[in-house]
Amino acid sequence: MARQSQSLELFAPSTAEAPPVASRPAPSKLQLWIAVCLPSLAFECLGAGDSSLPAVVVEAERGQLHVVAANRVAVEAGVASGTKLETAMALAASLQVFERAPPFERKSLESLAEWAQTLTSAVSVEAPESLLLEVAGSLKLFGSLDAIKSKLREELGRRYRDFRFCAAPTATAALWLARAASADVREWRQLAGSLAELPLTVTRWPPEVRALLNDLGLRTVGDCARLPRDGFARRVGRSYLLELDRAFGRRVDLRAEFKAPQAWSSVAELGEESVDGAIFIEAAEQLLYELCAELNRRQAEIAELELAFLHLHRPPTVERFDLRESTLDRDRLLHLIEDRLERSALPVPAVALRMKSGVFRPLERNNADLFEAKPFAERAQALLERLQGRFGGAAVYGLRAVAEHRPEKAWAKSLECDGRPARAEAPAQEARPLWLLQKPVAIEPRQEALELISGPERIESGWWDEQDVARDYYTAKNGRGQRLWVFRDHRTRCWFLHGLFG
Amino acid sequence: MLPGGGWPLGAITEVLVDGYGIGELGLLMPALEALTKEDPARPKKWVAWIAPPFVPYAPALQQHGVNIDRLLMIHPTSEGTRAGMPAVEQCREQLPRDARGRAIASGKSRLWAIEQAIRSGSSAGVLAWVAAADDVILRRLQLAAEEQGCWVVLFRPASARLLRSPAALRIHLPQAQAATRVEILKCWGGRPGVVDVAGFALDGAQVSSR
Repeated sequence: MARQSQSLELFAPSTAEAPPVASRPAPSKLQLWIAVCLPSLAFECLGAGDSSLPAVVVEAERGQLHVVAANRVAVEAGVASGTKLETAMALAASLQVFERAPPFERKSLESLAEWAQTLTSAVSVEAPESLLLEVAGSLKLFGSLDAIKSKLREELGRRYRDFRFCAAPTATAALWLARAASADVREWRQLAGSLAELPLTVTRWPPEVRALLNDLGLRTVGDCARLPRDGFARRVGRSYLLELDRAFGRRVDLRAEFKAPQAWSSVAELGEESVDGAIFIEAAEQLLYELCAELNRRQAEIAELELAFLHLHRPPTVERFDLRESTLDRDRLLHLIEDRLERSALPVPAVALRMKSGVFRPLERNNADLFEAKPFAERAQALLERLQGRFGGAAVYGLRAVAEHRPEKAWAKSLECDGRPARAEAPAQEARPLWLLQKPVAIEPRQEALELISGPERIESGWWDEQDVARDYYTAKNGRGQRLWVFRDHRTRCWFLHGLFG
Repeated sequence: MLPGGGWPLGAITEVLVDGYGIGELGLLMPALEALTKEDPARPKKWVAWIAPPFVPYAPALQQHGVNIDRLLMIHPTSEGTRAGMPAVEQCREQLPRDARGRAIASGKSRLWAIEQAIRSGSSAGVLAWVAAADDVILRRLQLAAEEQGCWVVLFRPASARLLRSPAALRIHLPQAQAATRVEILKCWGGRPGVVDVAGFALDGAQVSSR
């Protein structure tokens, strides 16, 4: 039959409307596609449709609710896809109606696609209910197509009640064959014959196109393929001709490869409005459980986390957590959240919690210090995170010595706190007090009954940045036994207290 | 002076002081030097300073041989800085503030920070300045210190000497003229007494386990 359709094309005059036929791919580039169809996905992702009562999933279309999927009982009552809801309700007594939830369907498909990536790297999601896997490259790894199919069947059986899949040399053909629940097509020469028998409904072309073809007396895919190309392109549409070409393998069929999402987000409903920290913690714990399971599976870790409290009639309150080091440790994340929640008061009650992860990073494990240093380094980082989470980043810091004559500039905060040795600075030769005052305090030596013990140490420096100092430093003792570090400013002749020998 | 010749590790030491600048830090310097020394055989741990009253001066610490890379300064505030939380912001306005405009830590925040620092297992030592701490909380800190083998030094006002405390060692530094006088009020496995320490030379203060 393939020969027949091709011979027809030879006689068809070539026009701009009918694209020329591309040569069939060379055998070395042979592909083998498996299409997975989930006819009841709309039901199954809602966890519905199982009951003995008639049930339908509906979707609003042009202001009216139409049935998208119906369960077996409803179908027996005469409800079909596309039926108006009113009609369906008249047909089936005590009809259960569910609203379609495309996000759930997508999530379900994506989760399956992620699993399918264990079979082949070329997986593409064919919305709304199909999945395409190119498995020619995996045949060697798994041994045979049957081995791949049995793995697929097992997993699909675990996830869904209603599924079918079919293999074919082109993606479109596999999809159409799977929709018609046909047998596998492994050879090119069988492809045209198998496709030709398929009814036109498998193409999912719009109803008006199918009606037109029906009026022309065309019932199957083969009927269409037998038509002259330019005529078909002109009367039906160029895009449908291209789709036929792709199905028959006359045109390259490119599919967008599915990429697992690089972040994670989920919402936990609280059931009712709440300001109760314990309830938030419980919800956050549940979300973290999901998140960390996901991270574990993907062998990834995260460095940012966002927790949003969703309110009614009000923008959400958003809490961001920046981790010092990426992690997939649930307890560590939970501690951070607990600390933050402990000291936070929500302006208004929240109805739900939304958790959003930052970008997934590939898990890094340093084998060299797996047993010794890493746990300590990790614990140290976790401590810093908790402290900074509660008191703010500026409240926790390390110390650094700076080679600088002005005493107040001879030290600095080191906010990294990474514990890596800083550049070694030559310590000052003269005695320095262990306590330094943030700012020198003016004093009156006679009132304080100061007794100078040692000094003066002249410090003159800083003329280059206009914060120059000219001071004589002394060690002094007061009546209370405190040893003080005092100086006299050259210009003002005033005395200042700058430190304590603690 | 002390049993084992040094500060008790894995326990609370209470230092009761009437004022600062009387050598109270100097007493700890040999121990700090030992605890912060780079040693490949030991995991790198922090010595956390919680709510120090002044700036611990890095050059002076280096003069005492302390490896300042291992020191961690923590300034607990009652409430961290939080955006988009008007209720909390209002609360902060009413809190007393220190010289840098930060809300001064309630005792609770400090004790929380101390407990975190000890329990994390990443601190070799914790130096903390606390005013009020009840017996129950101190007991909890003592247990945590024992568990983690952490050297915990709490600086408290001398008025706290009459309060009960589970600390392994309590010393009082009265204001003395000539030397730093150390009154040992309580010491596990030792006897109370009075020692004068001249200047910073405190040779016996090597860190040792109980």
